Amino acid sequence: MSEELRVSSIETRGVAGKKRYAMVIDTRRCIGCMACQVACKAEYDTPLGVNRTWVPYKVVGTYPNVKKQFLPRLCNHCDDPPCVRNCPVDATFKVEDGGFVLQRYERCIGCRTCMASCPYNARFMLPAHRTYTDITKVVDKCTFCFHRVTQGLAPACVQTCVGRARVFGDINDPKSEVSYLVATNATQVLRPEQGTKPQVYYIAADRNQTEFARDAYRQPAVMEGDRTSFQRNLRT
Amino acid sequence: MGDYVVFHDVSWHASYAVYFFIIGIAAALFFFSFLSWHQEALRPLRERTAYWSFGFLVVGALLLINDLSQPARFLYIMNPVYLNWGSPLTWGGLNLIAFGAVAAVYLFLLRRGGERWIWETHALAAVGSLLALGLPVYTGFDLSVHQSRPIWNTPLIAPLFVAMSIASGAALCSLLVARDEAALRMLRRYMLWSAGAVGVMLVSLLGTTAYGGVGEELTFQLMLSGGMGLLFIGLGMVLGTALPIVLMLAPFGRQHTVLAVSALLLLAGGAALRYSLLMGPQIVQTLY
Repeated sequence: MSEELRVSSIETRGVAGKKRYAMVIDTRRCIGCMACQVACKAEYDTPLGVNRTWVPYKVVGTYPNVKKQFLPRLCNHCDDPPCVRNCPVDATFKVEDGGFVLQRYERCIGCRTCMASCPYNARFMLPAHRTYTDITKVVDKCTFCFHRVTQGLAPACVQTCVGRARVFGDINDPKSEVSYLVATNATQVLRPEQGTKPQVYYIAADRNQTEFARDAYRQPAVMEGDRTSFQRNLRT
Repeated sequence: MGDYVVFHDVSWHASYAVYFFIIGIAAALFFFSFLSWHQEALRPLRERTAYWSFGFLVVGALLLINDLSQPARFLYIMNPVYLNWGSPLTWGGLNLIAFGAVAAVYLFLLRRGGERWIWETHALAAVGSLLALGLPVYTGFDLSVHQSRPIWNTPLIAPLFVAMSIASGAALCSLLVARDEAALRMLRRYMLWSAGAVGVMLVSLLGTTAYGGVGEELTFQLMLSGGMGLLFIGLGMVLGTALPIVLMLAPFGRQHTVLAVSALLLLAGGAALRYSLLMGPQIVQTLY
């Protein structure tokens, strides 16, 4: 990104001397095995009903020309994140060197304004009861596996992806694989019109999934099941 | 079919709509208490509206705190070290606290001050009325800053909340004054003008929403159909805004019973509008 496109002082993409982690997701390589979703669940013990990363799919086309189109989703670790702007107590913040958008659990008051401000539904409320941790009733989200990346490891979802559909790295480093992929492929981000400057880039994402669809009037039964389960067990 | 879509919960549930309704009434009641210093017809309302306003404020604040998933941490909003000064919620929280403090001192002076503290009481009413104005403004602003939500993300929301606040507050005041002719005449005007303003802004809001992109278009359809349509258009716009205006403008519109019915309709409409304006624009987002 050129200097001219940077409008906010919080943005770190293209700033010399600073890391800016990003993820490239090549949807052509995604087989929908959901291993990334499982790896993330295992890494963080994410409760049932909520996800840090998820892989929705849509069957597109008309028989016999049909395809299952996957779109792995996660927090976009925006360069200009509205959740950070909105949090009244600085519970969510952006790490300047690396660009991770993280959450301070001990400070979150649970007002959910960050959830309302996120155009990607990347944030969720943790339930009141959890087995292995007392981090409950605060907002949570994907961290780009901050704890792993700072130890020189790849995020859990990237490490486990069998098709190498997910690639992670420093987009400020011109020699990184993500820089190469973004430079040599036509990529897109989700909801660019929001001006959040997301740092998850998609190759060959399907418009049936990146845009609002008529699902408002055609809610799949599975979602109704999720909704009922959520109301019964997880609402805090 | 066979699609897999993950369920996302709405960020703000119906309790926020109740809070918006209550805090809007609290603000308007205080505003009418201030107006009573300048409009003789409203003089009988001065103490009563101040008490009711404070009561509504306490209930609203408790609702807001209870709606936090970590209620005890509401104290963080008062810690300047923690505050994010760029967040509208920060300013809203501070506005709420400042209004509560001014309203409490104002009440005390109204009870104990007498003639000796008349200037100070009047000044506090003026300051409090400005802070009261800030309550519907900040609640509207809280919604309008969310750039990805159709209907919320418009500068019209804050003035709309101010107009709804005055309409609901004037309606409740008219029920409080019962048979005071002069006060009712004045309050009828406030109800008419504020309900008119609400109607005009809602029509503008719907027009621009229908004209927007796909998110706006879907939200527009959801707001106008099914149960949400019944609440928003049926109870909120027709029964709760248009009908009271028609009733009050009718030849029999000055009768006490008609005014009382209009006031009740305005209150019911105000509640329905706040609920549908809060919940409706969140539905499409849960499907993304």
